[in-house]
Order: sequence, then C-alpha cells, then structure tokens
Amino acid sequence: MSDPLPAGVVDRVEYDVERGKIREFTRATFTTDPVHTDPAVARDAGFADVPATLIHTVVAGHQRDQRAFVDSLGLALARVVVGSVTWTYLRPLTAGDHVVGSRRIVADEQREGKRGGTMRIVTLETEYVDTEGEPVVRLEEVLIERGEQR
Amino acid sequence: MRTPAEVRVGDTPDVRVVGPVTQTDIVRFAGAGGDFNPLHHDPGFVATSGFPGVIAMGQMQAGILAGWLSDTFGVEHVRSFGVRFVAPVFIGDTLTLGGTVVSIDETDGESLATLDLVASGDKGPVVTGSAKVAVAST
Repeated sequence: MSDPLPAGVVDRVEYDVERGKIREFTRATFTTDPVHTDPAVARDAGFADVPATLIHTVVAGHQRDQRAFVDSLGLALARVVVGSVTWTYLRPLTAGDHVVGSRRIVADEQREGKRGGTMRIVTLETEYVDTEGEPVVRLEEVLIERGEQR
Repeated sequence: MRTPAEVRVGDTPDVRVVGPVTQTDIVRFAGAGGDFNPLHHDPGFVATSGFPGVIAMGQMQAGILAGWLSDTFGVEHVRSFGVRFVAPVFIGDTLTLGGTVVSIDETDGESLATLDLVASGDKGPVVTGSAKVAVAST
C-alpha cells in the first residue's frame, strides 16, 4: 500500500464507489433522478448499477489531509482559494467501480495580482482509472494563492 | 441508455430553486464529501476568519448545479462539467440553478451541446460554468 508515487504524482487516492455514498451525494446536491438511488430504474436505463452523481470524486476529501497537501506544494493555506474545477467524463462512474486517482501538477504560474502582491496559480489534474486501467473521469482544479497584503 | 434531450441553440431549460440554504444542508454535504474545514460549520472559528458568517463549500453549490444539469439531460449524456467560483454562499441564501444552450456541434458522430451555466444567490452569481452534453441530432 505504501508504494512510492510515480514521478510527477503529488498524491493518489482510491476508493470503492458505493450505492450508499451515491445516495448521500444525491440528497446533498438536491438531485432528483431516481436512476442514482433505485437499482431497477438504473438497469432499465442501461446501467450495470446506480450511476454516481457528477461530482462524486469530491469523496476523495475523506482521504486527503488538505492542510498537509497544501503545505507540500509550498502554499499558504490561509491565502489559497479554489478558482475553478472541471470534470471530464469518459463513462459514467457506477456503484461497484473501484477507482484510483493520481493527481499531478500540470501548470504552476505566478501573476501580478490586481491589488499588489504576486498570485500563484497551480493547476492540478487527477485522472481516475478503473480496475481495467481504463480512464473513467478526469478532474482539473485551479488553486489560487493570493498575494500577501502589504 | 436513455434518449438524449432535444434542444436548440438559445434554449433555457426550466430553472431549479434550492433553499434557503441551511447549516444542515452544509453539514450534509460535508458528510458526503469529507470537507470538514471549520469555515463551513464552526461559527467561533468563522469569527476569526474575516467572513461575516459560515460559508458553504464551493463544491456544494457546484454539486447542486451539477444535479440540475444531470436531472435535465441524463447523467450518462454529460461529457464535461466545469465551474468557476465567483462569490461565497451564506446560510439563508436561496440558489437558482440554470443554463443556456449556446451551440451544438457534431463531434465524433455525436451531437454535443455546449451550455453556459449559472448558479445565483440572493446578490447575484455565485458559480458560473459550462458543460458539454450529448443531445439528439436534429
């Protein structure tokens, strides 16, 4: 379990996609399509089991130490905000899947902030693969570290 | 798979209204996703942060917008979903979720609609975004 991370990978998470967790996300996001909660409806719609909601990868928050991760990037947690997130879906994530997500830095830039100070903008990409090694979903996150106020 | 939706450029599917957002809504989302930053549930901590009150995690309003998108078009037809966070959501805010079809293109034998998305709170947009969804070819 403690294999070293491949070059360029800043962290790795893995989890089982579970019906109960899908139900939690369905309720927490006011999603109403019964395909997410009723296996019979899901099968009638052509799924092997209930599909996850679109933001299911957020569940990785249960496995991450966000403070340690931000520290490891050399960012000041108090000045970091998430600017944007984009998910790209290669197939629906479905109950019964086991996925592994590897997070990499794809860009790390500095820019002059509008209110003085230098902003740092870090772009991270996480690719989740299934047990066959096939990519299922990709996630791009842009973290913004605001400049220090002087 | 279910039949993709039939849409035209300029269409604005029915909006969804959620709220007012409660502390319970925020805690429920924290439980689902695992974000236990005290900014989202601990008023004592929030008082030291500079925010006037507990704020929702951006992923919550992104997720509520995503729920509107997948309920409208079918989760299996959504090819991408992206959001930018433009303003915080506070307890008591009511969210309005919706979008506009801005273009439809044939890509790899599939009709893909591009949508501009917006989640608005009481004082204007809190999340803006875009999505690509497979739709019925016309």
